[in-house]
Amino acid sequence: MPDVAGHGLKRGVRSARPASRRLPVAWLGVTPFFIFTLLFMLLPASFLVVGSFLDRDGQPTLQNYADLTTPIVANAYANSIEISAVTAIGGGLFGFLLAASVILGGLPPFMRNALMTFSGVASNFAGVPLALAFIYTLGNLGFLTAFINNTFATDIGQAGFSLYSKAGLEIVYMYFQFPLMVLIIAPALDGLKRDWREAAENMGATGFQYWRYVAFPILLPSLMGAVILLFGNAFGAQATAFQLTGGTIPIASIVIGAQIRGDVLHNIGLGFAMAMGMVAIMAMAISGYSLLQRRSERWLK
Amino acid sequence: MAARVAGLLAVSLFVFTACSSPGATTAPSAAAPSAAAPSAAAPSEAAADPMAALVEAAKAEGKLTTIALPHDWCNYGETIEAFKAKYGIEVNELDPNAGSGDEVEAIKANKGSTGDSAPDVIDVGLAFGPSAKDESLLAQYKVETWDTIPADAKDADGYWWGDYYGVLAFEVNTAVVKNVPKDWADLLKPEYKNMVALAGDPRSSNQAIQTVYAAALANGGSLDDAQPGLDFFKQLNDAGNFVPVIAKPGTIAAGETPITIRWTYNALSNRDASAGNPPIEVVVPAAGRFAGVYVQGISAYAPHPNAAKLWQEFLYSDEGQNIWLKGYCHPIRYENLLSTNAVPPDQLAKLPDVTGAVFPSLDQLNAATKLITENWDSVVGADVK
Amino acid sequence: MTQGGSPYAAMKLRVPGEPELPSKVPPNEKPRRGALWAWIVFGLGFLYFFLPLIATIEFSLGHPTGPVGAEPSLQYYENVLIDPRSEFFPRLFFSFLIAIATIILSIAIIVPTAYWVRLRLPRLRPIVEFVTLMPFVIPPVVAVFGLIRTFSGPPFPLMNTTIGSNVVLVGAYTILSFPYMYRAVDTGLRAIDIRSLTEAAQSLGAGWPRIIVGVIFPNIRVALLSGAFLTLAIVIGEYTMASFLGSKTFGPYLSLLGQNRAFEPAGVSIISFGLTWIAMGAIQFIGRGGERIQVGGAR
Repeated sequence: MPDVAGHGLKRGVRSARPASRRLPVAWLGVTPFFIFTLLFMLLPASFLVVGSFLDRDGQPTLQNYADLTTPIVANAYANSIEISAVTAIGGGLFGFLLAASVILGGLPPFMRNALMTFSGVASNFAGVPLALAFIYTLGNLGFLTAFINNTFATDIGQAGFSLYSKAGLEIVYMYFQFPLMVLIIAPALDGLKRDWREAAENMGATGFQYWRYVAFPILLPSLMGAVILLFGNAFGAQATAFQLTGGTIPIASIVIGAQIRGDVLHNIGLGFAMAMGMVAIMAMAISGYSLLQRRSERWLK
Repeated sequence: MAARVAGLLAVSLFVFTACSSPGATTAPSAAAPSAAAPSAAAPSEAAADPMAALVEAAKAEGKLTTIALPHDWCNYGETIEAFKAKYGIEVNELDPNAGSGDEVEAIKANKGSTGDSAPDVIDVGLAFGPSAKDESLLAQYKVETWDTIPADAKDADGYWWGDYYGVLAFEVNTAVVKNVPKDWADLLKPEYKNMVALAGDPRSSNQAIQTVYAAALANGGSLDDAQPGLDFFKQLNDAGNFVPVIAKPGTIAAGETPITIRWTYNALSNRDASAGNPPIEVVVPAAGRFAGVYVQGISAYAPHPNAAKLWQEFLYSDEGQNIWLKGYCHPIRYENLLSTNAVPPDQLAKLPDVTGAVFPSLDQLNAATKLITENWDSVVGADVK
Repeated sequence: MTQGGSPYAAMKLRVPGEPELPSKVPPNEKPRRGALWAWIVFGLGFLYFFLPLIATIEFSLGHPTGPVGAEPSLQYYENVLIDPRSEFFPRLFFSFLIAIATIILSIAIIVPTAYWVRLRLPRLRPIVEFVTLMPFVIPPVVAVFGLIRTFSGPPFPLMNTTIGSNVVLVGAYTILSFPYMYRAVDTGLRAIDIRSLTEAAQSLGAGWPRIIVGVIFPNIRVALLSGAFLTLAIVIGEYTMASFLGSKTFGPYLSLLGQNRAFEPAGVSIISFGLTWIAMGAIQFIGRGGERIQVGGAR
């Protein structure tokens, strides 16, 4: 490779070195990440791992893990997975549409900026304030509830709608799922080169064909990555659900919280074991996603 | 390649955890001697000198770290300000929303630390006193007024002592509820559909668990039998009267949880703070008056042990007890204060009538707690759809 | 941040030999009024997001449309903002500083990592993704007590000093930001051709630091901004960890005000929302501008 400046001779030649000599640089590059996560995440979490093997008196036991199969715990995991999956996919879908509307839909540019900044704020609007906001809106005495009932002479409570249900919880969760999707997928949508659309049109493709055969396959890895993030985001959420349903819908994070935090002497070891169970579930979700990822990226690279 | 990385991480993890545990336990020996010395020199007869010495020592430390003290709970806001004003000691407040479990965990996690994250004093549910003592997390101390604290509300060795109590009452938003319920049985009436709520989760919150316990007392149960409480709430839920939301002043004002069952002191202080918006009436039911006691303790690893002791002295002085009383809490020295006419009469008049309140023993409380937390799910479980 | 208009007007660094594609449509042409579906979607989104906010604002004024029908009043905002100890602004400013430190640290760690994983270490990807998603499943309370234990004694007694515990706080927040920052950066890297960019830069004699900072960063500006927004929101709103670490940040302060009141928390939410939005605007302002460098040709 021509070395224009002259001072970078060594570096300019680097790419010509054999592969085995190139590895150290990349490893050096990721070392800060691993050291940092070791210090600030893995070491603190090690107490969780160790604690999951202890019983109430501090003696080693495997009972906590055995207890993971009890109906209450299994039910909690099932609920968590369901709610997270629904809000990840639903949130991903509408979030994608929202991002596409401002980036590709030809709306005035200020709307894109407004959506991006708002999404930043809304993505973290969770917990008690969010739950309360929806209670004030769609609760039994919420203003939207009253508005709908008055305008359409219905009683949506009678008709079976309740904010304090899984469906209600999912509606509330969307408030931070949509914005997260918008922010994460925006760079990908931005990267859809105009050339490709033009090339497709030159070859006679319709809009639908462009999306089906060009845009979606290109976006798919990013979409999947975003959805797995949304899944994780919902999976770990606790405060919102707790405030909204008072723990009557058992989800894993609330049950863990009850074991670890409350005013009563619970079995902290069980809480830690459940948290490890959540880690395992995330690991499974990630491996499934990685598999799909590699397949979707095959033709791209 | 990936496996090697994972293996390396795992090894360093275990090496670290193995090394850090013994290291953490060497720290308390530094805190213990300074805790031991002043208490040996603080007898209850010559009040002035030891107190003055304590005040000096506390001021030298300059800071007190508290945890889980919401300002509107028993008027702690005023207590903290009064303490700061009187002694000029800074008060560092950790999470006011922490539960009792968090407080104990905070002591444990901070064993090796002398920084601002280590709590000096804790205010926890009754069951946590003995358990924290068993784990050697508490320091011994007996305040000057120790003898005036009822014997069944304190640890004989001085590791923990009761601070205040209240009973469970109905906090009613009268703008939404026209016909105010007077007793537990009233709550089952159809006119209260979707109205009755708890102020916490009965699987983890003292307040909520003891609400169920109180319901038991009013429905044929006793301090030894909390099952009728669960049955009552099952009835309430089946009738459609129970709202699963965690009740807060906001939800009460919105009318979403217009009948909330919580401690008298919380209900009354919210009534005052609301000043008519919304109009609130607090009803202490005739039956099922259940007294819930909280206890104080000093951390064995407190970075500011003298400030902690001074804080306790302040809380248990007539002045401190009266500040709690202003917050509608019955301070633990209540009977003693009455006998010495130490309570301002206008304060006394404002206190709710809680005659007949029953206090469970620790064993009764633990048994009932176990029953309620384990069976709540099946009683009011996920079929709330 | 590049506008919705055309990034393609930016400098094109073409690799010799690549043909320029003929285009029927002039590059700057865009539908003048925006597609119908876009307006509908945006409108629906607008409704969904703003109705609960409006409900909260209405509530914070004393819930005038409620059963009591009190006069709308700003007194609850006064109760929150007019604080005798005047800690509002110092705390807010401190939180903002912590947020900036977290953003910088997070970007500094994540961008090289994502870059190397994409470029040279694809087998490491599942591990890195797993690690970055872990903060979701570790409850914040467990994390904070674990952090306190880790940094309470030797070898890193950070918790004994205020500076030390602030370092722990920034570290904890950086970890919390990883899922979002990594995903945003990864998506951004995916959209550009880092291999060609790297080779082009190397052929001009750039070393690795120069490549990452001078070539990669500008090309993932949108992604970095997304990540920065998400991190800022997390830091300003975070409450649990800060309150157990005894940090003087905004979250614990806000929660002390009117925690057990009826209307003040709604006011607090709105204030927090508004302030964070303004802070986002500030970051967007700082991060905008600059040309995007692209390598031409089909990927």
